[in-house]
Amino acid sequence: MKTVKHALLIARKDLALELRTKESLNAAGAFAIVILLLFSFAFDPDSEMVKEIGGGLLWLVFAFAGALVFNRSFARELPNDCLDTLLASPLSPASLLTGKALANFLMLLAMELISIVIFGIFFNVNWTHRFGELSLVFALGTWGISMLGAVFGALTVNLRLRELMLPIIIYPLLIPLLIAAIELTKLLLSNQAPTPSDFLWAKILVVFDLVFTALAIMLADTILVN
Amino acid sequence: MRDKLAIGLAAAASALLANNLYQMFMVLPDEALQGAIYRILFFHAPAAMVGMIGYFVALTFSVLYLSSKNFLYDSLAASIVEVSLVFSLVNIVTGSIWARIIWGIWWTWDYRLTSALVCILIFFGYLVMRRAIDEPTQRARLSSALCIFGCVDVVIVWKSIEWFRNQHPGPVLDFRTGGGKMDPAYSHVFWLNFLAILLMGVALVLIRTRQEATAREIDSLRRLAHTAA
Amino acid sequence: MDARNFTFMFYGFLAAWLIVMLYVIVLARRGARLKKELDAVKKIASHPEQHADRR
Repeated sequence: MKTVKHALLIARKDLALELRTKESLNAAGAFAIVILLLFSFAFDPDSEMVKEIGGGLLWLVFAFAGALVFNRSFARELPNDCLDTLLASPLSPASLLTGKALANFLMLLAMELISIVIFGIFFNVNWTHRFGELSLVFALGTWGISMLGAVFGALTVNLRLRELMLPIIIYPLLIPLLIAAIELTKLLLSNQAPTPSDFLWAKILVVFDLVFTALAIMLADTILVN
Repeated sequence: MRDKLAIGLAAAASALLANNLYQMFMVLPDEALQGAIYRILFFHAPAAMVGMIGYFVALTFSVLYLSSKNFLYDSLAASIVEVSLVFSLVNIVTGSIWARIIWGIWWTWDYRLTSALVCILIFFGYLVMRRAIDEPTQRARLSSALCIFGCVDVVIVWKSIEWFRNQHPGPVLDFRTGGGKMDPAYSHVFWLNFLAILLMGVALVLIRTRQEATAREIDSLRRLAHTAA
Repeated sequence: MDARNFTFMFYGFLAAWLIVMLYVIVLARRGARLKKELDAVKKIASHPEQHADRR
């Protein structure tokens, strides 16, 4: 219970900091819009093909823009030895990691909401008819990205070339989650009825989130050492 | 002692390989549908298997490092990942060359190829990360964590890409004559070659582990010299 | 027998051996470099006062 309370505290701190400066949100949001714009040149925005590739497009945008968010997540603690202070505090490493993941999650969700609105406008896609299920898919997929982002943000915080290494390490690990999220998003954007194999993707999302959250909490002491 | 073991293993691997090559080219007949090129299988598949086994053995050593903090386990894990990467690369390249003849294309997004590529990328990231960390304890700790995450992910990657590709079927990867089991004559040489590649892998791992230990010795001597001066 | 089959079989074997040989060469060179470095550092560590002015 204390871990949850502490995690919420860390998340609140990070969100408060972010809302004051909005640096990650602005950067991620702008980056998402630029990528969507570039995609409009890569594919014909008016064709029916957009419904087929829309899922993939969106999740690529989320993954790339997300890297900006979780790069900052632990890096913002480096000046003035804030990270060392946090690690020396009574907060457990698991609560620090989960709190950071939660803050990343909420920031990414905000960016995703903006992105899907812009995507709907740019590519003339109606995303509202199954918004409930779509938001569930977004939430599950984003949690996985945020958790892994927090873990590897912590792992790479003190390394040279951190901004380059974080994407190299994290994107291959995210592939199963991205595949599942892309398939489900594609299904929901084209408003098709789900087949039994689509429930498999939902299961993969849930299993991925559960397994990596558990692993992260178990290894939090190893990842975050004073 | 370890050097002698490595040399012994390398010699045994060489002898086995020589025998297997003789069997492959002089004894076994050409395969009915593919002709001569099926012989690539004897390196392609064992290399993949040794690579995969290697990643999970590295996982074991990573966990052992985290529980015991003995650097030998970290050296072993890193060496095994490196050697497994080499064999995974052999797997992908030989597979690609074979595919060029059998399917007419260098690459396809078949689930096995895609998963193999993802595994290579995951563990390439592991090696990249190791090179970026100078401090040995931090390097060992972070590498172990990444190896654990990587290996757990490998399992999820294989299953999910398999399901994904079953929804979007590509060319069928079926090197066997009719999708049935391998001819007993072939499977004998196959498993012997698997053993040869495994022995070669173990020899390379032993040499690499020795080098990791030397690097650590250099590091500690440097610190000693620095503090003494 | 299709001649291209033989050529590509040869390429396949060549690729497998080349990759492994390249790795063995990399290992050998790394080993030699480490040995040289170890000898140098051992010399410095055993006579720190002689090398102090190098800094």
